[in-house]
Amino acid sequence: MTSVEEAHAPAIQLDGCTKEFVTPQGGSYFAVKGIDLTVMPGKFVSIVGPTGCGKSTVLNMAAGLMTPSEGEARSFGAPVMGVNRRASYMFQQDALLPWKTVLDNVALGLIMRGVNKKEAAAEARRWLAKVGLSNFEDRYPHQLSGGMRKRTSIAQAWIVNPDILLMDEPFSALDVQTRQIMENELLEIWQESGKAVIFITHDLDEAIALSDEVVLLSAGPASHVVARYDITLPRPRNLLEIRDDPQFVELHREIWGKLRDEVAKTYAAKAA
Amino acid sequence: MTITTGRADAAPAASAVRDHRAPARPRSETPAALMRVYQLLLTAVVLGTWEILGRAGLIDTFFFSLPSAIGVAVWDWIISGFIFPHLWITLQEALYAFIIGTGLGLVLGFLLARVRFLERLFEPFVQMFNALPRVVLAPIFLLWFGLGIESKVAFGVTLVFFIVFFNVLQGVKSVDKVLLDNARMLGATERHLIQHVVLPSALTWIFSSLHISVGFAIVGAVVGEYLGAAAGVGYVIAQAQGVFDTEGVFAGMFILMIVVLFVDLGVNRLERYLLRWRPVPGA
Repeated sequence: MTSVEEAHAPAIQLDGCTKEFVTPQGGSYFAVKGIDLTVMPGKFVSIVGPTGCGKSTVLNMAAGLMTPSEGEARSFGAPVMGVNRRASYMFQQDALLPWKTVLDNVALGLIMRGVNKKEAAAEARRWLAKVGLSNFEDRYPHQLSGGMRKRTSIAQAWIVNPDILLMDEPFSALDVQTRQIMENELLEIWQESGKAVIFITHDLDEAIALSDEVVLLSAGPASHVVARYDITLPRPRNLLEIRDDPQFVELHREIWGKLRDEVAKTYAAKAA
Repeated sequence: MTITTGRADAAPAASAVRDHRAPARPRSETPAALMRVYQLLLTAVVLGTWEILGRAGLIDTFFFSLPSAIGVAVWDWIISGFIFPHLWITLQEALYAFIIGTGLGLVLGFLLARVRFLERLFEPFVQMFNALPRVVLAPIFLLWFGLGIESKVAFGVTLVFFIVFFNVLQGVKSVDKVLLDNARMLGATERHLIQHVVLPSALTWIFSSLHISVGFAIVGAVVGEYLGAAAGVGYVIAQAQGVFDTEGVFAGMFILMIVVLFVDLGVNRLERYLLRWRPVPGA
């Protein structure tokens, strides 16, 4: 952060962002319409919504991988032009390079930033230790389990020390137990970092347990923000027990009431 | 209730490391060593029958030389050292054809895959030349490059080039978009993308077509020699055919077969090394 002004600017700010796609038939399709989203530095914000509601589109606009058709995406006060250099992105799919070892995958971001090989490798080893993969640095991604690949992705994304982390259903392919372990580890790393996180999920439990704020998107197409909820559960949180907390249960009931309506709309639209 | 779609393909627990390296052999299957014995037996039976039928006059040894006679011919060529210069020429031609064909295919495939305009411009011409039965090029190459190794190399190049070219074109164009986006988010410049993502992805396609392109390089050399040459295994076979020396034709075939088998073993090794990062298909 270079200026006082920047220090108070949101890490990500979407102002009335709309994304329109042209369909192969020549028509147009609105993935999202008029999205307003503000994520302050150090905040963990989850976006939930039914399948196909344009959650990934929102993330891609914040990342600079997509430009909004209308509206503006800003990051720390500056318009996002091209790839957002202050953000790292964890994809839903496997995004590790299959031809590079775990160590080389993790070091990649530093190597591309011009850090020399030795230093990059040392830093990558430090991160691998942090995510519990010290003994696996010479493996190739296909030799790892799903959970280990996600850990590698976390190390890969965090090693470049981004101010913002964009996570697109990063744990959705994992089994429930592994997923809870990963959620815990993510919170641990995040808590000491002061980074802004936008976390996309369609698992409401996961959203409430992890976040400071949950943003609910409507059913697509032309999906928009339906509601926002501040999650004031105290930190640090114990994710293994938080689901029994009365405040959690209350929030879950409230948000699920709304989410259910949107899910029902999605199914109704599909059936039609 | 939470929505839990996408968990159907749940990965194994974090502690489990999958090992693709040792695909287990089903218990009921014949052990490899015993299978070798069976294979040797089969060879002996086929060659033995051939030999006996030939000696009994039931098959014409003018067209089907006796295995023993072929063996003697091969042995003579080896101990007299007659075959080695020819073999060396053939392998040289194949090697040059492979290197030049692969190089050209790589460069042009990469260029056309990256520059949409060029791809669209050249597409019909590429299809045209690929549709041409390559053997008809041999006479013109003989006229252009003479009876030496150059004409065979040129011929082999036309065979290898298209395989590599189409593989690179496909490889570069089918790079996983998520891998590109991920590298971009990690700070990749255009040069980084090519170095870390596009090129390795294209090379995968080339490596996995190594067998075919090496095979075609050898085919190019031998067929080229057969059609007109002053040396090489193809030339030896053509010469033998010219004097109705069936044993010589069979001996040439046999030697080629063995040599190509060894080359293929080498390619196997190389492929396994180059693609060591890839999961074993089907495991």
